[in-house]
Amino acid sequence: MARASTTPRPRLGVVKLASCDGCQLMLLNLEDELLAIADRIDIVEFPEATTHRSSGPYDVVLVEGAVSTPEQLEQIHEVRREAKLLVTIGACATAGGIQAMRNWRDHDAFRAAVYAHPEYIESLATAQPVADYVKVDAELRGCPINAGQLLELVTALLTGRRPDLPDEAVCAACKRAGRVCVMVSQGIPCLGPVTMTGCGALCPGFDRGCYGCFGPRESANVDSLSRGFVHMGRTPSEAGRLFAGFTGYAEPFRGLITELGGVPGTTPVPRATAAPEGAAGHAAPTPAGSPAQAGGQR
Amino acid sequence: MTTVTKSAIGFLPRAGFQQLIDLLAEDGRTVIGPTVADGAIVYGEVRAVSDLPKGIGAEQKPGSYRLVEHGDERLFAYAVGPTSWKRFVFPPTLETREARRDEDGHVSFARVAHEIPKLAFLGVRACELAALGIEDRVFLGGPYTDEDYRARRSGALIVAVQCAEPASTCFCTSMGTGPGIRDGHDLSLIELDDGFIVTAGSPAGSAIFDRLDLAEASTDQLGDASDQLVAARQRIGDPVVTAGLHDRLLAQLDNPHWAEVAERCLSCTNCTMSCPTCFCTSVGQRSDLDGHVAVTERRWDSCFTKGFSAVALGGNFRPRVQDRYRQWLTHKFATWIDQFGTSGCVGCGRCIAWCPAGIDVREELNRIAPPPQIPAKPKAPEGQAPITRVFRVEAARQETHDTVTLALTRPEGMDWEKEHGEFVMASVPAVGSVPISISRRLPTGMELTIRAVGPATTILTGLAHGAEVGLSAPLGHGWPIEAAEDHDIVIVGGGMGLPPLRPIVDEIVAHRARYGEVHIYHGARTPGDLLYTSELAAWAARGDLDVGVTVDRADEHWLGRVGIVTHLFDHARWDGSRAIAFVCGPERMIQATVSTLASHGITPDRIFISMERHMECGVGLCGHCQMGPYFVCKDGPVFSLAQLGDVFGREGI
Repeated sequence: MARASTTPRPRLGVVKLASCDGCQLMLLNLEDELLAIADRIDIVEFPEATTHRSSGPYDVVLVEGAVSTPEQLEQIHEVRREAKLLVTIGACATAGGIQAMRNWRDHDAFRAAVYAHPEYIESLATAQPVADYVKVDAELRGCPINAGQLLELVTALLTGRRPDLPDEAVCAACKRAGRVCVMVSQGIPCLGPVTMTGCGALCPGFDRGCYGCFGPRESANVDSLSRGFVHMGRTPSEAGRLFAGFTGYAEPFRGLITELGGVPGTTPVPRATAAPEGAAGHAAPTPAGSPAQAGGQR
Repeated sequence: MTTVTKSAIGFLPRAGFQQLIDLLAEDGRTVIGPTVADGAIVYGEVRAVSDLPKGIGAEQKPGSYRLVEHGDERLFAYAVGPTSWKRFVFPPTLETREARRDEDGHVSFARVAHEIPKLAFLGVRACELAALGIEDRVFLGGPYTDEDYRARRSGALIVAVQCAEPASTCFCTSMGTGPGIRDGHDLSLIELDDGFIVTAGSPAGSAIFDRLDLAEASTDQLGDASDQLVAARQRIGDPVVTAGLHDRLLAQLDNPHWAEVAERCLSCTNCTMSCPTCFCTSVGQRSDLDGHVAVTERRWDSCFTKGFSAVALGGNFRPRVQDRYRQWLTHKFATWIDQFGTSGCVGCGRCIAWCPAGIDVREELNRIAPPPQIPAKPKAPEGQAPITRVFRVEAARQETHDTVTLALTRPEGMDWEKEHGEFVMASVPAVGSVPISISRRLPTGMELTIRAVGPATTILTGLAHGAEVGLSAPLGHGWPIEAAEDHDIVIVGGGMGLPPLRPIVDEIVAHRARYGEVHIYHGARTPGDLLYTSELAAWAARGDLDVGVTVDRADEHWLGRVGIVTHLFDHARWDGSRAIAFVCGPERMIQATVSTLASHGITPDRIFISMERHMECGVGLCGHCQMGPYFVCKDGPVFSLAQLGDVFGREGI
C-alpha cells in the first residue's frame, strides 16, 4: 500500500475577508501538532501568524470571513483562480456570519447612522457566504471552527482520504456524550436538532440551548422545530429570532426568519442630509432586501 | 404463601441499603445507578445511599421530562430516564482497530483491546433487562460477534429493581417486557415503604444475597409487593396492541402517513440514541499526519442521518426523512422479529419522552395486540470477530481508465477451501474499508476488480506487484450456481455488475456439460468502460456461449450494439421457462432487467440479483445495509427476487 512520499509539500494559504480572525487563530491553537503540520505543509500566506506575504498558486486555501465589500468580491475571485482547493472556514465564510443580519435591512440607513462620513465606506449591500460567488470544495463550520475538525481536514489532506466531517445533528454528539436534552428536561429552546454537528455539543453541556453557530444540517426541519418553540410558549416572531444568529442567513434558517418576521432590532432612521452622489452602496450581484431570494444554495 | 424460606426471598430494611451498595462495590466494582444530574435521573456512579434520588421522580410526556419531588423515602420511585444501560455495555465511541503502514509499504492490522471496567448495574428495570436480552441476540447471537460487548456484558453484575412508578410514556405491558421482573438479573429488588424484598437470580446474586443482613419477608410485605405490581400494570394499561403488528406494519409501506410524520420528525436521532436496543454504528478513521498509524473508531450512528444510507458516487437509498422514519419503525416493530426473533422495542417510552418534537410512537402504530413472548436468552455460541488478513498483490491489470483487476495471493495458513463468500472488506489504513466483490477465485487467492470512485478505491487501484492489502475473509452469500445445473442460464451484468458475475462464467467454462444454453449480456456506458473485453471475446469464440455486448453511448470506432442492456435480449427467442438468471448492476438496470426476464417467463424464484447498500462492517453488526428484513452483507448480497418480495424496487428502503 505504499504511496509516493516524495511529492512536494502542499502550499497552503489562509485568507481573510470580513471576519474577526478567530477561525484562522484555531490553526495556531493546534499547539501540539502545529510544528509537525508546518513540517509537511508550506504555509505561504497566513497574516495572523506571519508578516511574510506570498501570493498563489495554492494547493489549499482556507478562507475566513464573508464577502462584504467590493474589494473582497474581487479578492475571492482572485483566490479561487489561484487555489486548487478552496475551503471556507467559519460561520462568516460558510453562512455570511453575524454581518449578514444586515441583509434583511436597509444597508444605506445603517451606514449613514454608524459612520460620520458614510461616503468613505465602500461596502456591498449584503454580506454573503463565499459559496454565493465562487465554487467551494469543502467547508468547516462553526463560530469559531472546531480545532479537531481543522486537524482532521489537514490530516485527511495529507493522507489522501475524505475528511470525516459528519453532517448529522448536534443531538447525535450530545447523546453520545451522555448529555441530558435541555429542551425536553428544562424547556430551553435548542437548535441542536437542525444544526450541523462538529462542536461536540458544547452549549447543551453548559445547560444552554444550541444557537446554531455551525449552521443548518442536511434535512433541517426548521418548521417543526419552530412550531415546537411556539408550543413551549414563544411567540412566532420570538421563535424566528432564535434562528437569527451567526448562521441565520443560511437556508433554511433564512426563509424561516423571513417568514416569522425577520431579524431582531430596528433599522435606524436615515439622517436628513442625503449622501453625496456617487457614494451610494455598491449593489451586490444578488438583490438585497429580499433575503429569501438572495444567495446561492446552502 | 405462608412459609417463605430465607434462602429464597428476604427483606432488606431501608436502613440496611448501604450494606448492599458496599457489597456490590466490594471486589473493586464500580456501582452505576440512578443519580440526579442536569434536571434528570441519569445513571452515574453510586457510592452511598445519598447519591440515589431519594423522594424524587419524574413526570414524563411526549417531548417533556420534569423532575418532581415525592417527599417520601423511596429511592427508586421513578420511571426510566434518558440514560440506558447500553452505554455501559456498548460504548458510544470505541476504538476497535489499529492499522499500521511502515515505510516499505507493509501494512498490519490489530484489534484494539480495552480494559473492561468491573461494573454493577443498580436499578435495572424489567424493560431494561429485556433490552439487554435483545442486545445479546444482536451482538452475540449470529455467526459474527462483538467480543467487546461480550466482555462488558458478562462482566456486569445486574441488580434489578421492579418498577412501581411508571410514566405516561411507558408501554412495557404491550411489549411483554414488564413491569414485573422475570429473569436476566443477578439480584432483584422490590421497593416497599420500609425496605426491599430481595431475591437472587444467579449464583453471583446468591453469594451477595447470603451475606446481606436480611429479615424474613412477611406475607403482608409480599402482598404489598404484589399489589404494587398490579397497580403499576393497571396504570400503564395496554396502549399498543401488538398482535399481527408485524404483518400490518409491513403492509403499510406506501401509507401517506409516513410523509405526514416526516413533517414533524426532526430526524435528530434522539429516539435512536436514547433507545436501549438501537445498535447501529459507523466507523471513522483517525490517523497521524502521515497516515502511518491509524485508529478505527466506532461510534453510535442512526438510521435517521443521511450519511448512514449513503453509497459511493453520491447515491443514497433513504434520502427523505419519511424513508428514514419508515426504516426505523418497521425495523423496530417488524423486520427486527424476522432478523432476531423478538421485537426490537421493549416499551420503555424513551423515544416518546426524549423526542424534541414529541412524536409518540404509540400513536403512530395504528393498532394494537398481545406481545410477542421473548424466548429465553439465547445461548450465544463462541463466535468470532471478523479478522483482517494481509494479502499480497501478485499482478495488477488495467481494465479501463479507472478500473483495475488485482490478482491477490492469500496469506499462508488460510484454509482457503473453507472460505466461501461473495465479497471482501478491503481495508486501507487511515482511509477506511470498502466492500469489493470477488471477481475470480484462484487456488492461491482471488481477483478483485475495482473502480476508483473514492479515496480508498483510488488507493487500491494504484497498487502494484508486491503491495500488501488488508482483506477480511470472504463474506456474504454468493450466487447459487448449484441451482443452475441442468438449466439454461442468463447472466446480465451492467457496468461494474459484471465482475461479481465472472466467477459464475468461470464455473460454467470449467464444467460446461453441466449446464444448458448460456447467455451472457454485458452493458457499459461507453466502449471505454467495457470490462474484460478479451475474455468476452474468448467466451464468444467458444461457440457454446451466447455473448452480447452493448454500450449506452458509442464512439467513432464502435461498431457494436448501442442501447441499454435489456435491448440485447428483449426480442431474443430463447425460452425462459428452463432458465435461471443471475443479474448484477445499478439498481435501475436490475429493475429493467428483471421485468424483461419476467416477460421471457423466468419466475421470481429463479431470478437472482445482487443488491448494493452501504456496507460498513460486512458482518451484520453495524446496521448500515439493512433492507427490509435483511442485512445485505450477511444475508446477501445475492437474493432471489422471490426472497426480496415487495421490498425490491421500492423507493426509500
